[in-house]
Amino acid sequence: MTQPTPRREFFRSAADGLYGTALAYLFGRELYGGSGLLADDTQPSPRRLFDLAPKQPHEPPRAKAIIQLFMQGGPSQVDLFDPKPTLTRHHGQSVFKELAADVSSPQSAGGLMRSPWSFARHGESGTWVSELLPHTARQVDRIAVVRSMYNTHPNHEPALYKIQSGKLLPGLPSFGSWVAYGLGSENQSLPAYVVLDDPQSRLPVNEIQNWQSGYLPPLYQGTRMRPTGTPILNLTPDQARKRPEQIVEVSRNLLARLDRIHKKQRPGQLRLDARIASYELAARMQMTASDALDIKQETKATQQRYGIGDPTTDNYARRCIMARRLVERGVRIVQIYTRGQMWDNHSNIGSSLVNACKHTDQPVAALLDDLSERGLLDDVLVVWGGEFGRLPIAQLKPGMDLKKAGRDHGPAGFSLWMAGAGIRGGTVYGATDEIGYKAVENRVSVADWHATMLHAMGMHHEGLFFDRHGLRERLTGVEEVRVVKELFS
Amino acid sequence: MRIFTRFLLVAVLVSLLNQPGTTLVAAAPKGGVFETDVLPILLARCGRCHAKGQRKGRLDLGTLVGVRRGSESGAIVVPGKPEKSPLVEALVGGDMPPDGKNLPTKAEIAKITSWIRGGARTRAGGFDTGTRWSQEDVLPIFYTRCVVCHGSREKKGGLDLRTRASILKGGQSGPAVVPGKPDQSLLVKRIHAVEMPPPKLLVDFGIRTVEADELDTIRKWIASGAPGVPVVADVATRKDDPLVSNADRAFWSFRPPRKPAVPSVGNASSARRVANPIDAFLLRALGRRSLEFAAEADRLTLIRRVAFDLTGLPPSWNDIERYLGDDQPGGYRRMVDRFLADRHYGERWGRYWLDLAGYADSEGKRSADPIRPHAWRYRDYVIRAFNADKPYDRFLLEQIAGDELADYANAKTISPELMDNLVATGFLRMAPDGTGSDIVNTVVERFEVVVDEIDVLSSAVLGLTMKCAQCHSHKYDPIPQRDYYRLVAVFQGAYDVYDWLKPSFVPGQTKSKAVGRVLAQLSDDEQRRGRAARTAIEKRIADIQQELQDRQAKLLREYSESRLARLPDVLRDDLRQMLSVPTDKRTAVQKYLARKFEKQLTLTVKQLKKRDAAFKKLADSTSTEIKQLQATVPAEPRIRALWDRGEPSPTWLFRRGQFNKPGHRVGPGVPSVLTDGRTPFEFEPPRPGSRSTGRRLALARWLVAPDHPLTARVLVNRLWFHHFGRGLVETLSNFGNTGSRPSHPELLDWLARTLIEKDWSIKEMHRLMMTSSAYRQRSTNRPAAEQLDPENRLLWRMPLKRMEAEVIRDSILAVSGSLDDRPFGPPDAVDVRADGLVTSRVGPKGWRRSLYVQHRRKHMPTILETFDLPQMIPNCVERPDSTVAGQALHLMNDPMIRSLSDAFAERVLKDVGTESYQQVERVYQLALGRQPTAQERQLGQAALVELTRHWRTNAPKGGKSDPGIPPGTRALATYCHTVLNSAAFLFID
Repeated sequence: MTQPTPRREFFRSAADGLYGTALAYLFGRELYGGSGLLADDTQPSPRRLFDLAPKQPHEPPRAKAIIQLFMQGGPSQVDLFDPKPTLTRHHGQSVFKELAADVSSPQSAGGLMRSPWSFARHGESGTWVSELLPHTARQVDRIAVVRSMYNTHPNHEPALYKIQSGKLLPGLPSFGSWVAYGLGSENQSLPAYVVLDDPQSRLPVNEIQNWQSGYLPPLYQGTRMRPTGTPILNLTPDQARKRPEQIVEVSRNLLARLDRIHKKQRPGQLRLDARIASYELAARMQMTASDALDIKQETKATQQRYGIGDPTTDNYARRCIMARRLVERGVRIVQIYTRGQMWDNHSNIGSSLVNACKHTDQPVAALLDDLSERGLLDDVLVVWGGEFGRLPIAQLKPGMDLKKAGRDHGPAGFSLWMAGAGIRGGTVYGATDEIGYKAVENRVSVADWHATMLHAMGMHHEGLFFDRHGLRERLTGVEEVRVVKELFS
Repeated sequence: MRIFTRFLLVAVLVSLLNQPGTTLVAAAPKGGVFETDVLPILLARCGRCHAKGQRKGRLDLGTLVGVRRGSESGAIVVPGKPEKSPLVEALVGGDMPPDGKNLPTKAEIAKITSWIRGGARTRAGGFDTGTRWSQEDVLPIFYTRCVVCHGSREKKGGLDLRTRASILKGGQSGPAVVPGKPDQSLLVKRIHAVEMPPPKLLVDFGIRTVEADELDTIRKWIASGAPGVPVVADVATRKDDPLVSNADRAFWSFRPPRKPAVPSVGNASSARRVANPIDAFLLRALGRRSLEFAAEADRLTLIRRVAFDLTGLPPSWNDIERYLGDDQPGGYRRMVDRFLADRHYGERWGRYWLDLAGYADSEGKRSADPIRPHAWRYRDYVIRAFNADKPYDRFLLEQIAGDELADYANAKTISPELMDNLVATGFLRMAPDGTGSDIVNTVVERFEVVVDEIDVLSSAVLGLTMKCAQCHSHKYDPIPQRDYYRLVAVFQGAYDVYDWLKPSFVPGQTKSKAVGRVLAQLSDDEQRRGRAARTAIEKRIADIQQELQDRQAKLLREYSESRLARLPDVLRDDLRQMLSVPTDKRTAVQKYLARKFEKQLTLTVKQLKKRDAAFKKLADSTSTEIKQLQATVPAEPRIRALWDRGEPSPTWLFRRGQFNKPGHRVGPGVPSVLTDGRTPFEFEPPRPGSRSTGRRLALARWLVAPDHPLTARVLVNRLWFHHFGRGLVETLSNFGNTGSRPSHPELLDWLARTLIEKDWSIKEMHRLMMTSSAYRQRSTNRPAAEQLDPENRLLWRMPLKRMEAEVIRDSILAVSGSLDDRPFGPPDAVDVRADGLVTSRVGPKGWRRSLYVQHRRKHMPTILETFDLPQMIPNCVERPDSTVAGQALHLMNDPMIRSLSDAFAERVLKDVGTESYQQVERVYQLALGRQPTAQERQLGQAALVELTRHWRTNAPKGGKSDPGIPPGTRALATYCHTVLNSAAFLFID
């Protein structure tokens, strides 16, 4: 396999090269006004030129990149990370009244439902994990489980907006675009914020609005990279419009000549240099992007470890390797979305949850091992979780067999986990109530969680803002926000 | 905002300050007494802004009464709980004093803290927060939860909950309230029993149940005797305003512009460049740094610059030849005038205005992103207004209060002008509005719409950032929270959060009434046009349906005939006869024949499709086409307008911007700092008997008064920005304290006054700016000048500009001859490809200009987004500007750009034939508006030869691309595509 491109190598070479000045212009703020971004108390200065140049965070970061294993749909905490013996003891008992506020389908609300799966303690830390996740279970000493997350809406759409952008509404910048805006990318021939959605499935709920940039400039929105065909929109022409290589070359040379002539008549116009540089980058991106996603370069052993070739895991495993290859190359944040609504186990949780776990468990664990062996886990924050969890009660139509039951959405308390980048492995943080319905101890809001991830990236949630109509708009808004420092060692 | 996040810190510090043994604590028995221990500190440290007539944030710290009353955000002292007292929060957190001057010492803060901890004692004894209940505590609750059924529009059960008197009177079941006896009060009983508001109706009416603390407040009010106090809404009076001082008014942008004398330019070489006063102002400033204008640009550069600036399209070769051929003096001015008169001017400058209005063809806020079927009429109004050079004051009057300008409600016929007035108010209907969905139609979401519209108005017209005053008084500008809510009150006649109209019907999400904030007052012409458009499409649908039917019938007949041919001759006529008779009308014999033969003689449509691929294709494509056509059937013509509905609810200030924390009642008004502070805001119904309040008309008239400090300045600054690439005030929508100061204050004021003198004519301002020598400079860089003024603030050259998103798309369309130049009307639909590419749909005559493409918030055309067209949330005051690889990729590989390059080549081929010499020349004329240089010509011809050679040897085999295209044509297309990618095309000197 080829050597992964070391971080910053691109910049070293670019700075030495022909387009040094232009790149400085493209990527640098010092040539144009103030930053208006990470400043503290200065007057907001108008920042109109935007770029993806790497930017210094507020403080030395723990993580240089994030891989978010986004489990949209709502994985059931009481069946995976948050065992509740009470459910077994009071199986069948009705608690509808207490939960009524969060039950979106009251007509199918059953009694408390015990988890059909057994839990065991794992690792040196003794973290409880369900038998459904045997591979993840072996990783517990690397991960910190947060059992006290909560969201504020029981429907997918608003809850997704919230977990992506901090508010229940569409139209606001997603977390990833804030990161791209705040830190730029370390590799200019790849996007700063990459989205890997399931190529065999339709787009997740809320579609592209999951990774939009809202009021931030469009260049900060997530870029979908596709494992088949053209990895990035318009990276190469459609098949029918492909041109023979000689044609491409003649055209490229002609363009370079024409632009050089144009530039020569206009000395000192940095915009023109920047534009020419952007064409160079585009050409480079065509190679870099395809190369980054080319998992054939991985050894057989690596492929097998992720589960490539096994129809159960193959699809997800591919994107996990790609994510690793992307952060290796300087991409700032990679989000992997899962197949359809596989975690949305309204019915037949006995089989549907099993399938969802089988599909992802091995690749996820392999990703942690692989990152660790390559020494990347210290620099990469891996985050696992969805927009909410599920209720501890059964969901089934009246008169239906309990075996066919599922669980309805549960926003009041759910689990997610983080690993890498200084996260204290083996931690279990916060708690839900006796039945696993509501976060009660060390509650972590979505804003807290966002601030915590920003903290890992070296950014302070109050210091990352975008000046709009005189307001310093922030990801975490005006809520009282707490960085969960207990998760870090 | 920081106040909230500082909370933890405060708690920690407060606890530290109170550690036993901490030297900081100036221990006094029970924490001291207000008058002796606290008041002196407050006067000394805070008195500048919060005592002796100054009441910033509506807070008076100079008296016990004032400290008790608290600020605009509520109580500031919670006796016994320093950590919950905003006074301590502000001091400990360092938020106050805001300039960091005259800060209280730690000991002083400790003193205040321990006073509060000790129970906030006063000479008279306790602090006594002085809670006096009144109807003002409960009315906001009733307005939020009840008046939709018990108010002006409906009085269910005869009950009206809008005033204390009507509450005491009650309804059919008797008085709603028994003063002094909450438990016997019907109102409390019904709320307590969760009968009211009726749970079943909540979502339909956009309300929620009464909260526990609200019911508690109602009980307390009743328990204390349901007292009433006389209430006057807080409005500007003839007395001095305690919240805004004359010192505040002294800030440069809050003083009306005065026309300065035009400076004389001493330096002779500079003086020669003074074409009009603009140059005099600029040259004086340049002269101070020993700088001068750049030389005048050549004519080809000038016409290209002017054409793009005024029309957003490249000049045609005819335009260029005409200008070059005009050797008489004044040729340049005539050329500018020609482009100003071009109808594309309105499309170009209208687009700038649409950015400010936040124009969109969808509502946003929800994933469904419902379509706004009528928004385009406002877009067309704006384009027409610019083309007609509608005076800016009139333009604003119509957009802000068009409904109050003329009596549309009683008009016998709706003239086009009257309709225009209504359409114009669409300006204040463009913000995202999700309230069409029942589930998000509560006061919270409604208020968001109001807030966004105020944001649009203040950023676009006033050039002020007001948004923060929604939650608290502006930190940097003298805009009290009160003034924000006075503006809310101005809009309350039209946007009443307690009496709401939904914007539109959202399939599956709207059940309730009060749908459709639209008017039907269209002119006869427009109605005719609307009907004609509907009929035309309906007819087209009927036609292609018929076509398919005919084809189908023919094929089925042919099939039957072919089967009949296999049967004995004698049977055929009878069978034919049988088949032609409908099943239920057949004779017994025919029925017999049918049983026996019909199956083998006929096909179902399904079978036909299976057998006949061509027919299936036709049927499928027809059905797709019908679906597409059905989607384009225009909605019943309506106007997306804003109009005063009369009888507005009261306006309460929302503490911290929260609807359930109502403060005092405010009346309509404008920001005090922009007035003399002693002039009441006067308004009256626009005509006797009108339901309209006249509030917005008064606002609009105030805005366009010649002495308004901001309106004219903000506009001329924007015009300047679009011509010269940088505003005289760089922060286009922030002329306040945190905005930048003007680089040429006198020029700005001269322009503002000149605009008013020229009757607010925008075209006159273009003329003035564009005929200046400043505008006619070259864009060439001069290292010496760059050293002195690296950012070209003084304008020693013209900036080099990249085409904006729409200009790129429109220019490529124009150059390639693929522009469908039809103006106006419903927007063109977009297609969304599986990989996310969003493109506009092409019509029979090509693609329309970008501003006629549907602007759906969730599906903006990819090319526009790639070149920095942002989402309108709620509007866009200045486009971002990026140079990224994605833009290069789009222009290189996007299928639409590729096919436009092909079209460009075909156009050139048609114009000049196959000679490469002429081809290169024509490409340069069309794309770059000039002849190629010898070197460019040579490069182009050589490239064509080489490309032709490669295309010949690499002719595409099969596939989608037509192998019949000659290599020379392919080469030309590749060449055209390369030129469209070149810097020379994308940048304007």
